[in-house]
Amino acid sequence: MDRREFCRFIGVCSLTACVGGLTGCARALQWSEAQHTTVVTRTFGGTPSSSASAATTPSAGGTSAPAAPAFPDLAVTTGSDAAANTRLAVEMLGGMGRFVRRGARVVVKPNIVVAREPRYGVTTNPDAVAVVVTMCLEAGAASVTVFDRPTASTLQAYTVSGIKAAVQGAGGTMKVLSDRDFETIAIPQGRLITSWPLLTDIFDADVMINMPCAKTHGLAVLTLSMKSLMGVMGGTRSLMHQDQPQKLVDLNTLIRPQLVILDAFRLLYRNGPTGGGMQDVKPGNTCVAGTSQVSVDAYGATLLGMKPTDVPCVALAAEQGLGVADLSKLAVAKRSA
Amino acid sequence: MADVKVASHTRVRGVHRFRLAFQIAFLLLFFALLTLTVWPLGSVALGAFLGADPLIALNSAASGQWLWPGFIAIGMLIVPLFAGRAFCGYACPTGTIIERTTPSRGPGQLPQAWRARLRTLPVFVLIACAGLLLFGSSLYLFFDPLATLTRVATILLYPLLDRVLRLAGDVAYLAAPLRPGVDAVTAALTGRLIFTRPLVYGLQLGVLGMFTGMLAISWIEPRLWCRDLCPLGALLGLVGRFAIVGRLVDGETCISCGKCHSVCPMDAIPDDFRSTDRSRCQSCYVCADVCPVNAIGVGTRPHAWTYSPTRRGIVIAAGVAALAGFFSFTGLGRREKAPQLVRPPGARTEADVLALCSRCGQCMKVCPTNVIQPAVSAGFEGVFTPQMDYRVGYCEWSCNECGKVCPTGTIRPLSLEVKHRTVIGRAYIDRDRCIPWADYKTCLVCQELCPVPEKAIVINTADVVTPVGTTLRLGRPEVVAERCIGCGVCSNACPVAYRPAIEVFGVREKA
Repeated sequence: MDRREFCRFIGVCSLTACVGGLTGCARALQWSEAQHTTVVTRTFGGTPSSSASAATTPSAGGTSAPAAPAFPDLAVTTGSDAAANTRLAVEMLGGMGRFVRRGARVVVKPNIVVAREPRYGVTTNPDAVAVVVTMCLEAGAASVTVFDRPTASTLQAYTVSGIKAAVQGAGGTMKVLSDRDFETIAIPQGRLITSWPLLTDIFDADVMINMPCAKTHGLAVLTLSMKSLMGVMGGTRSLMHQDQPQKLVDLNTLIRPQLVILDAFRLLYRNGPTGGGMQDVKPGNTCVAGTSQVSVDAYGATLLGMKPTDVPCVALAAEQGLGVADLSKLAVAKRSA
Repeated sequence: MADVKVASHTRVRGVHRFRLAFQIAFLLLFFALLTLTVWPLGSVALGAFLGADPLIALNSAASGQWLWPGFIAIGMLIVPLFAGRAFCGYACPTGTIIERTTPSRGPGQLPQAWRARLRTLPVFVLIACAGLLLFGSSLYLFFDPLATLTRVATILLYPLLDRVLRLAGDVAYLAAPLRPGVDAVTAALTGRLIFTRPLVYGLQLGVLGMFTGMLAISWIEPRLWCRDLCPLGALLGLVGRFAIVGRLVDGETCISCGKCHSVCPMDAIPDDFRSTDRSRCQSCYVCADVCPVNAIGVGTRPHAWTYSPTRRGIVIAAGVAALAGFFSFTGLGRREKAPQLVRPPGARTEADVLALCSRCGQCMKVCPTNVIQPAVSAGFEGVFTPQMDYRVGYCEWSCNECGKVCPTGTIRPLSLEVKHRTVIGRAYIDRDRCIPWADYKTCLVCQELCPVPEKAIVINTADVVTPVGTTLRLGRPEVVAERCIGCGVCSNACPVAYRPAIEVFGVREKA
């Protein structure tokens, strides 16, 4: 065997080895939740900021009395400007500084389920999302990332809903979710679902703000903050639809956004959650903010002419001690912007 | 006369060096336009490259469809009178890829007898096209070079890029500091080069095979595909036969060394070296560069030497082509559509689709949900026409791009308002498999995602008795036939494994 022949032999061998190795690597191209079958335990960024702990740290409100739980459970604002409503509601809860500390990484999850223009009331009002981004940045947030996992193509849903332009205009970042952003995470208190591929960003962040919009849903009756959390679920979400109330409660036991802002500027009172006709939308001109998903949803139900107990997942969550749905036991502050 | 020729010699030398610049420019333009062919399109006429293809434009015109790029196509048909098949040598992106990826050498790799036979092919390619055209089949456009390259890029290149970029992002994500950068790039490329769900297409091995075949035969003999098989080249060559201006050899200077013959990449110089096959010459003038005596220049009324088939050959070929056209015309596909052959919104009747579609795959490229797939259920004749495959995607309510990019008018451009009312199919629930109907459990995914404002799927709640005798209160989906437009969101989202319990079937065409 001469030198040339030897080189050729080595070349062919290494080529074969490379191809063989790539054949194995190629399976990595099928990147999906199948890779994340190992269940990871993650703790959610912290418990919802209680009024007591907030009082010890100076809030953006500034000169409020240090001892008393000064903040209401729910702040309800009305007015013809979605952004002003939202800003006032957050201020009534103690200002964004109560939730977002300087340097905090904030994630905001509006409802961007499909590609629909804002006027149809199917997605969260872009002005409301923009003002929340602005307030977070004003409070000193290091980054504000906005995302959802739409059922439509992401680019279209983000663009048509107007949220992409609004968020970028306000200085926030729209994140497009990929399979790599999900991990199968244990839901320790789950009764029906004990683990699910969930978005890791909400666990990495310091603060999560859930920004649902108020609309009906054929199965969940209403899509409010608890149902809208499905937007951080990966995997086959359509499997959530059997025994849905308990599964939603399970999800809500793990993920407890520090701030919940329900955009009820428009109310999609029929044909939700994807609507599409102006005859199904009526003006709501309201914004509801709170720290408990259950309480916000309980109040949200009344905006659409229902009792909190009419919404199965809210009733079940209250029953299992996840939050208070009885509006008579909640301190609700109302103002008009 | 001799003076003119001598003067033109100097001008002609070195022309082929500009050729590479032209080729790269057109190749880049082609891929730039194709890459931009994504939602949202804006107002750029991205289908113009294909619409300006004379073969496609003529086929459309024969079926009564005339789009504005057709005027460019007319211009392209006039060019061969003055510059031969310059399109093939300077502009055609497929030709560029074939030429630059195969060894550059002159003809003569095959025996003389074979080459003589190959020379006769373009005529018969055209006769075959005409036979199919006569009977309303545009199947021959499958071999159009521009449609082919569009198809190859759509089916093979962009899905590959999608996956490679995705994988690169996954790898870069392992390093935490890179994550914001990866997120920014992902956000910028999503919907453009990376898609929410990785792009998939059917028939990709077929497309790969065809393209590799085109390249492979051009390894045997340079540009064998372009010279002898390409139908667009044959059409341009047909006009080139009547060239007014072209390669002219000064017979007195010529020493018959045959160098020009041995370098001509198009095999356009016959054995007498003095005449030119005007149906093949691509005006690259590489012959002028190698000529040791500067005998080759440009002039009017060039000596033409072109293969002309015998009358007998034409009659036989035309007969065979007409029969092939006739039998495709009377095929099963023309009588009944396959039940699940649903065409994109705006598509014309089945007969028109088979007669018009250039099989380029632009609609598949632009479709944001990947639902438009190359048809396999439309029969051999309809292979690669657009078909909705709801296993892969669904027709997005906020999108009407496929009609805008169609270079043939097979898919009409519809406004969103019209598209929202255009019925392309109808969903049927399989009650033996639907979760609430068959399993007595709640589910309403089809209803919640139905994009029609007045939902085409309603949930009717009733007391139902399960097989074991318990009574349940259960909402079960039903389709309201007159509201369903067949977009297939329901079918695509149905959680029933492997085969959805709600499926879209074609609706009868209006006469």
